[in-house]
Amino acid sequence: MPTWTDVEQFLVTGLSLGGVYALSGVGMVVLYRATGVLNLAFGAIGAFGAFIAWQLINHSSVSFWPAFAVAVLVGGLLTLAYGMVFGPALALRDPLVKATATLGLALILLGVMDLLWPSSGGASRALTVPTDNNTFQVGQISVTYTNVLALVLGLVVTVVAAAFLRFTKLGTAMRAMANDREITASLGVPVRRVTAAAWFGCGCLAGVAGVLLSDLVALDATALTFLVISTLAATLVGRLRSIPITFAAAIVIGVITAELTPISSLSTYRDMTPFVVAAIALLFLSRRRVISVGRQGV
Amino acid sequence: MESAGVKTADDTTANEGTAPEVGSRQSPRRPRIEPRSLVRPVVIAALVLLALLLIPSIFSLYYVDAWTQVAIYSIVTLGLGLLVGRVGMVSLGQGAVLALGAWVAARLLFATGLPYPLVLLFAGLITMVLGTLVGLPALRLSGLYLALITLMLAGAITVVLTTINFPNGGSGFTGYDGSTVHIPPIRRPSVATTDPAFFRYSMIVAIVMFVLVFFHIRGRPGRAWAAIRQSESAALAAGINTTFYKLWAFALASFVTGVAGGLVAGSFRYLNSLTFTTQDSITLLAVVLMGGAYSMTGAVIAAFLLKFLQALLNDWGVSPDWLTILFGIGVLQVLTTAPRGIVEQFPKDMARLGRLIAGLFRRRTPAAEPAE
Repeated sequence: MPTWTDVEQFLVTGLSLGGVYALSGVGMVVLYRATGVLNLAFGAIGAFGAFIAWQLINHSSVSFWPAFAVAVLVGGLLTLAYGMVFGPALALRDPLVKATATLGLALILLGVMDLLWPSSGGASRALTVPTDNNTFQVGQISVTYTNVLALVLGLVVTVVAAAFLRFTKLGTAMRAMANDREITASLGVPVRRVTAAAWFGCGCLAGVAGVLLSDLVALDATALTFLVISTLAATLVGRLRSIPITFAAAIVIGVITAELTPISSLSTYRDMTPFVVAAIALLFLSRRRVISVGRQGV
Repeated sequence: MESAGVKTADDTTANEGTAPEVGSRQSPRRPRIEPRSLVRPVVIAALVLLALLLIPSIFSLYYVDAWTQVAIYSIVTLGLGLLVGRVGMVSLGQGAVLALGAWVAARLLFATGLPYPLVLLFAGLITMVLGTLVGLPALRLSGLYLALITLMLAGAITVVLTTINFPNGGSGFTGYDGSTVHIPPIRRPSVATTDPAFFRYSMIVAIVMFVLVFFHIRGRPGRAWAAIRQSESAALAAGINTTFYKLWAFALASFVTGVAGGLVAGSFRYLNSLTFTTQDSITLLAVVLMGGAYSMTGAVIAAFLLKFLQALLNDWGVSPDWLTILFGIGVLQVLTTAPRGIVEQFPKDMARLGRLIAGLFRRRTPAAEPAE
């Protein structure tokens, strides 16, 4: 059995992972609520931003924080461009079709990333957030400021997004669009501009998550792309709607995944955590539903 | 459509769960479909026969292997196309189901001396049971949620298979021995040890699977699936047991994919956890959509895109990443402009091109000008 120190140490890892999952999850939920698009390319976009940052840091001697900003911007613009080109074309289609289309974007980005930054040939890259070097002690465990940054960002994004949707005009417009796009448009809400804001915001969060996850996990295109599944699990627990539940689920998934690491018999299975959590939650939530009708589906 | 739905409802209540008796039910309607149904099977049979005879003799071993992969993966894309196109259920986990089938087949081939067809059958059946058990709760969900849960399950299966590893002749339940130096190859059927023979073998298995699925689609399950795809609530109102038929589709797709997994085991001969990735499941969906999920020819085109293009690019020294990019573009293109995939779009485009060329020629001759 793991010692208490192990449990505490992995709790720190888990909380920071959970924080990143939470901010990704919130990004996906906000976009889904505003446009009905579940962005399955979220991880790939983040990974792309992270690779751009890596390129700038290692080949153009840009320091970390400007590169981080560029990664976030690249994520935002890339997502915005996708949203502007394919959003209107698919606006009236089923959510399933919209989500499948984002898989197309994910595949394109995966291919491009592997072309530009091939993973074969033993080339290993690392993106290190400078806050890694600043640590402080809590009891016997050491905490880096990256851990703090991840959790705090997750928390801040959650609170800000929830408040934004509730109290601002743009947020209200997004919620209205989630209910009915046509009626919202006829009420005079600039639908295109509101969706553009949602796409851009989601993309920026993807960039942030991509850079943080490259530091916390690995700078690897495929791994980062499919880390979206962990985020997806959290958003599913929140039924793609609730921001607070998404946050809580993301933290739980992050912590469980990390805490299984020191238990040798379960360690190799720890990557299954998000799937198991999401499967149980979905089955529990849908226990009374036999059939679903309508475009939105369940 | 409506009358078919009502008819299906009667059938369902009359003898539910029994094997479909296609012939007797369809006999009154046969004269109507006869003219079409005579030409097409003959053409398809001729093409298949040509492929069986010619491919091993005109292609190099490298491309014969590529065609073997096309034959095997056409079974996988057939199963996924059945789910996506016929029933309207998107599964993002077929790659994992294939891996499961390959694992079961490899385990059986190492552990027993069963003849290969039996191993394929068992691999299909065991995969079917596992896939259905896993899919049973997922079927309560629909649309987007079903797709997402299958993506999760694919991830979970991949984690498990990576951990327990693929059998390499070791003992115990997992059949994996990490200390083995000389890993024995997975055995092939005794009649098909060479690559060309294995190609023919895979091709014949693929034909059997296509015929199996064909009769399902032509029969009562096919009509039920069509009704479910149109509207699940309408299908339910018409008396179709939607859960049962969705489960049936899931089971059938898992079965054929499991059989394909058995062929993968025999064709690769050495399996490891890197053989199957989560990305495969997504690429599979991409090619199925590109090829055309609504037809069985689409499944063949999808497998061709997936495996033959890969071999071709590899031969030319082009990075396979270009193929991934192409599939990504293909998915976006299919979903926005050509929902029925290449199988319907290509003839249309060719017809349009033909008209365009014909128009160009007509314009040159002055006599034709007033006619336009």
